[in-house]
Amino acid sequence: MALPLRYPLGNLLARRLRTALTIAVIALVVVATTLFGSLVSSLKRTLVSTGDERNLIVLRKGATNDGSSVLPLEAYQTVRFFDGIARDENGDPLASPELVVQPFFRTADGGRENVLVRGVEAAAFRVHREVRIVEGRAFRPSSGEAIVGRGVAGRYIGARVGDVLDFGRGHWKVVGMFESEGSSFESEVWVDVRELAADAKRSIPYSGLRVRAADGADMDALARRIDADPRWSLEATPEPEYYAKQAESANALYFIVVGLALLAGVGATFGATNTLYAAVQSRRAEIGTLRALGFSRGAILLSFLVESLVIALGGFAVGAVAAAALGRFVSWLLGGIAFGAATFTTSVIQLRVAPGDLLAALAMALVIGLAGGLAPAARAAKLRPIEALRRA
Amino acid sequence: MIDVRDVSRVYHRGADEVHALEHVSLFIERGRFVALMGPSGSGKSTLLNLIAGLDRPSGGVVEVAGQRLGDLGEDELARFRARHVGFVFQFFNLIPVLDARGNVELPLLLTKLGRAERRARADTALRVVGLAERADHKPSELSGGEQQRVAIARAIVTDPEIVVADEPTGDLDAKNAVEILALLRDLAREFGKTVVMVTHDPRGEAFVDEIHHLDKGVLRDTVAGGAGGGGA
Ligand SMILES: Nc1ncnc2c1ncn2[C@@H]1O[C@H](COP(=O)(O)OP(=O)(O)OP(=O)(O)O)[C@@H](O)[C@H]1O
Ligand SMILES: [Mg+2]
Repeated sequence: MALPLRYPLGNLLARRLRTALTIAVIALVVVATTLFGSLVSSLKRTLVSTGDERNLIVLRKGATNDGSSVLPLEAYQTVRFFDGIARDENGDPLASPELVVQPFFRTADGGRENVLVRGVEAAAFRVHREVRIVEGRAFRPSSGEAIVGRGVAGRYIGARVGDVLDFGRGHWKVVGMFESEGSSFESEVWVDVRELAADAKRSIPYSGLRVRAADGADMDALARRIDADPRWSLEATPEPEYYAKQAESANALYFIVVGLALLAGVGATFGATNTLYAAVQSRRAEIGTLRALGFSRGAILLSFLVESLVIALGGFAVGAVAAAALGRFVSWLLGGIAFGAATFTTSVIQLRVAPGDLLAALAMALVIGLAGGLAPAARAAKLRPIEALRRA
Repeated sequence: MIDVRDVSRVYHRGADEVHALEHVSLFIERGRFVALMGPSGSGKSTLLNLIAGLDRPSGGVVEVAGQRLGDLGEDELARFRARHVGFVFQFFNLIPVLDARGNVELPLLLTKLGRAERRARADTALRVVGLAERADHKPSELSGGEQQRVAIARAIVTDPEIVVADEPTGDLDAKNAVEILALLRDLAREFGKTVVMVTHDPRGEAFVDEIHHLDKGVLRDTVAGGAGGGGA
């Protein structure tokens, strides 16, 4: 038969300061785990959520991203008329030739970061359906205008609507801001593709091509046909697959974060162990009394484990609330978190604490509570009653 | 009720052996109030612990309430104590975070009784010791004498056959000591409990039925106490 819950809870209250300190330590670990974890998962989510399953990205064979690809003009002219590519009401193919450059932008706090600037034509807005202008208007071709993603607008000098952005050789007037349902386009600047090529002195104006498959068309067949064309060695990949691959770069980061969280967790575990050893030591006579009254070793073990788990849950609760608040505050303060992605451009992430991140932190807190409480609880349970009752 | 036959208890302290009890035999009838007396280190607590099922003898037989305690395992001994023995300690040993009622109720958690019944019995036990109106007080809010009375209520709440008390008046002033001694005597007189008390307190002699004197681990003699139960 177990001791009443009132007993471990009462003991926690009886040594408020120690309990509070231990809870605080675990809460710190929870905050760190949750925030770093959600940072990484937000990054992955941003990358993975980018791309449309009906879109193919066409790059030169061997290119790992559109920054390192080149697409000859003739290739574009040929591929866009392949069967299976959707057309608009005028009969024009939904094919968006794009040029990507990665100049440095200056941040408001004086840093320098690579930002992805994408040169596009009007077709881009029909291929990338999730992109929507939310402020101002689209750029006009050949007029030195740019539109910026929401993540860029808040972060860099001259990137707000109405500002003038300096990159490359030119000055670009920011005429609009767009959103893309949280995907990584929001970390980009879009300009007219021909203007961008001229500014960058690129003889080949395109780095890649995005095409939208017609409804009912066989995407695999289309991709195979592009891959197999002997004139240009090209490779077509469904966009979700492409971005998922980009997201793999977040995995390394993930391991670092997990490693750090584990280290902090081990520290907190020792803290909890320490607290409970002290509790066992100061309650020897009490434990002896309970054993004399007939409570089993198991009941004593359980009661100390409960104490430890309650501390851990307290730490989780405090930490989770703090992490959620801090996450909001940081996002509000910085307008997003910048991440160097594998392409060496910067992704601006909206930090969001997801249920999964909290669940991971909860699991961590419970493990801390169990691991930290086990040794002291076992020591308490092993105390022989006559020894525990003897006055030292 | 309590039958101790040729019992020895040897403690090992490093390479040393301490013979705390040597060939002690003792029989205590039901309903008696008995004192174990003797100099410090004579083995009184050791004997009491053996009778209470807190410890097992190195040799000999301890039979209490019809059970041979030497045969019981750790958890069986715990069950034996929960069912048959009430404990009173020198330093009261109440649980500080529980109020008087919570402390008295504690041994009942090891029974099958429901919540309401537990509470009713705890209150009855507190009434027996005259502390019904202090049920909601924490031990820190009670005097030493009151704490010991709560401890006695805790010892009798499960209605055990035996109550053991190790120096129950050792930490109390004269007035409270006498009250506690009278209370223990009444447990034997009115409730038929077998009460075994270790004490240095000469005042105790007047309350008990019989006194067993121990010296250096050996039972020296047994004399009648002031309550004159006509034992020895
Ligand atoms: N757990 C133990 N380990 C080693 N020696 C012990 C242990 N318990 C008791 N002893 C020794 O056994 C002897 C008897 O101890 P016990 O506690 O029974 O004496 P006591 O008569 O109760 O003395 P006091 O009046 O001081 O309480 C003492 O010499 C004591 O030091
Ligand atoms: Mg003693």
